[in-house]
Amino acid sequence: MAIEGEKEAPVHFDRHAPGYIDAFEDITHDLHARCPVAWTDSYGGHWVASGYSEVFEIARNPTLLSNDHDVTGTATGYQGISIPPQGREHRTRGGFLEMDPPAQQDYRRILDPYLSPAAIARWSAMTEDVTRAAIDARIETGSIDFVDDLANITPAVMTLALMGLPLTDWVVYCEPAHAGVYTPPDSPDMPRVTEISIAMGMRMTESIADVRANPRPGMVDGLIKGDVGGVAPSDDDIRDTLMLLIGGGFDTTTALTAHSLEWLGDHPDQRDRLRHDLDRLLGPATEEFLRFYTPAPGDGRTVTCDYELSGRKLQERDRLWLSWAMANRDPSVFPNPDVIQLDRPGNRHTSFGLGVHRCIGSNVARSTFKIMLTAVLKRMPDYVCVPDGAVHYDTIGVINGMKHLPATFTPGRRQGPSLDDTLAAWQRVIDDEQLAAPITRASATERAS
Amino acid sequence: MKVRVDETKCQGHTLCAMAAPEMFELSDFDGHAQAVTEQVPSEMEGAVRAAASSCPEQAVIITD
Repeated sequence: MAIEGEKEAPVHFDRHAPGYIDAFEDITHDLHARCPVAWTDSYGGHWVASGYSEVFEIARNPTLLSNDHDVTGTATGYQGISIPPQGREHRTRGGFLEMDPPAQQDYRRILDPYLSPAAIARWSAMTEDVTRAAIDARIETGSIDFVDDLANITPAVMTLALMGLPLTDWVVYCEPAHAGVYTPPDSPDMPRVTEISIAMGMRMTESIADVRANPRPGMVDGLIKGDVGGVAPSDDDIRDTLMLLIGGGFDTTTALTAHSLEWLGDHPDQRDRLRHDLDRLLGPATEEFLRFYTPAPGDGRTVTCDYELSGRKLQERDRLWLSWAMANRDPSVFPNPDVIQLDRPGNRHTSFGLGVHRCIGSNVARSTFKIMLTAVLKRMPDYVCVPDGAVHYDTIGVINGMKHLPATFTPGRRQGPSLDDTLAAWQRVIDDEQLAAPITRASATERAS
Repeated sequence: MKVRVDETKCQGHTLCAMAAPEMFELSDFDGHAQAVTEQVPSEMEGAVRAAASSCPEQAVIITD
């Protein structure tokens, strides 16, 4: 008789289904108990790795799993990290996340010096000021939508700053970056989302040409001058890479911030505890919110060689879903996994992935999140989320996100200039001080002395 | 107690430096970690154990 979860005895698993968000914990613990790696028939058939030890064993093995997306169908034929795969009519490579080493490592070497802890530390004053301005816009009214008025803004501005693009362009990218994730293909809103997505792509193409003609520091400039396998990336490669950075930089941090603020609003005693002990708790609480809400719930891979995992036989060309979200709820690694414990020790969560594809923006994500959370706790410590006002994504197969989180609070005073004036002032600082330049050997030495 | 970071496993998650900032330094270029000293001062042993247990890649190697 076939083992449950083998190809002959598949389990039902559909993470794009509308009810999945509410059944997530039950499904997760059922899979952990019965088959921590299982074959499902959905989306043409694929493996689902949900157990921590199974995910840990295979995610760090780059010769077993491939991220490659062969968009022309002329090489491996592998379909990248999306399950189901992109439609045939508009296939694009998801930048270096849909590549394998060594090209993937070349891109990381180009971009790491813009995103390392030392590089990101240079931006905290700007991130704090932009957050201040976003909160100022609502502070006198006593009401805010934490998604629209805060969590959408700071990560978007920060991502554009790192790329070396005009800060005010954040509005061009913000709405398509979020709506493009949560809008289902059959939605009546889809024509509008398509239109703004096209506008975003056109602006991106213009911006690459502009930086080529008028070089200024930032990740766009780094990619233009970069070396991937001995040649410079093409404009198409650069655009795919920048779209990956926008996809990774916007919606994920927004999702983490919104969920954390919703939970803290529901648990005012825990919010007060965090606020009164921020120095000690902010770090571990950030990791715990990352673990619990796992903004990017998983990644697809293609199996490159036959391999036995927990008694199941993986075969070359099989598709496989690495569920970071379910691994993060494995009780063998995280006691009481479905409970948020702000000071959880040994929190080796997988929310930034494992192995060579570790989220390249993890340092900016943590920094931006901590700055936004701190500002809310200090300036609107008594906020109350509007009952039934939170709007979660209908489906969480790609990002576990939120569209809205309205709240009310005791009004306060503005602390500085408007967001427009703040962005204009920081744009001058960025240009004058070359703030978006990469960390180099010289700047690292200067920093150390 | 001795500690080192296995550079073939470290992916720059930076959690070791959060748990024991005095014991791990991060590369300015990619955030990958290395131990400041191999020999762990006795007062740092708890923090180094916490660093090892929080490493997602299990790259922090402790030997007695």
